[in-house]
Amino acid sequence: MTDFAPLTYDALRIGEEFVSDTMLVTPEDVDTYAFAVDDEHPWFSGPSPFGGPIAHPTFAANQALRLRHSRYVVHAGLHAKMQFEFLAPIRVGMRVRSRGRVIDKYERRRKQYMVTEFVTEDETGTPLVRGQFTQMLIPA
Amino acid sequence: MAVAAAALAVGQTLPPLEKSLTQRHIDAYSGVRVRSIHTDEAWARRKGFRTTLAQGMMSTAYVSEMMTRLLGAGFVRGGTMSVAFVKPVYAGDRLTVRGVVKELRPEPGGTRVVVDVWCENQDGITTAIGTASGTAS
Repeated sequence: MTDFAPLTYDALRIGEEFVSDTMLVTPEDVDTYAFAVDDEHPWFSGPSPFGGPIAHPTFAANQALRLRHSRYVVHAGLHAKMQFEFLAPIRVGMRVRSRGRVIDKYERRRKQYMVTEFVTEDETGTPLVRGQFTQMLIPA
Repeated sequence: MAVAAAALAVGQTLPPLEKSLTQRHIDAYSGVRVRSIHTDEAWARRKGFRTTLAQGMMSTAYVSEMMTRLLGAGFVRGGTMSVAFVKPVYAGDRLTVRGVVKELRPEPGGTRVVVDVWCENQDGITTAIGTASGTAS
């Protein structure tokens, strides 16, 4: 059982860690993502240099971005910065999950921010995407 | 077809991408939720926005598309991106994604191609800005 708490600047701890659920990368999900970002690259539905269909490189980014939702009720937030390293393609049929850790929180110009580093891995623990993101907290 | 490093030059402008963001695109990207600034217009207005907002992450997908068109597998495996979201993107906006080659750096197995990237809305306002890179052979 998870006890969800409202996300506030004070509640958030630097060093806090999150783990997502595992997601099976289905052809339908890859197709929906391609529609959402209006990018119908043929590698998403057919052969690719990686031996079969792959997902868009940023496909699992929302899994990472929503890590804090695994513990908090997030009132609203804005995404301020994003960094990616694309280490290996996300292939259709993989099961992927993301892990993250809060590495900083700060206030600037009366606004509150949190910084999270993350890695998205396949079912063997092989890292696929690594990076960090900064999110602005919007108060209730 | 990925471009060869020899065909690139610092200062070279990449072909721009045009993206029209509809609420349907945002819904497909974010998943429809109540009390979401992305998919609940009343909630977005309550939070001070004129309508629903696209997720900033959608702009990273557009940059990724531009880089994959340029470098192919050399971006999908070994690519990087660092982007700041400087202005909101709203449902109904039209974005132009632009890139200019900033640096060509030899590295083992190829050339690291570093590109200045940014997105502009229909009013010419920059909404996201940063760099992206990948390798060309």
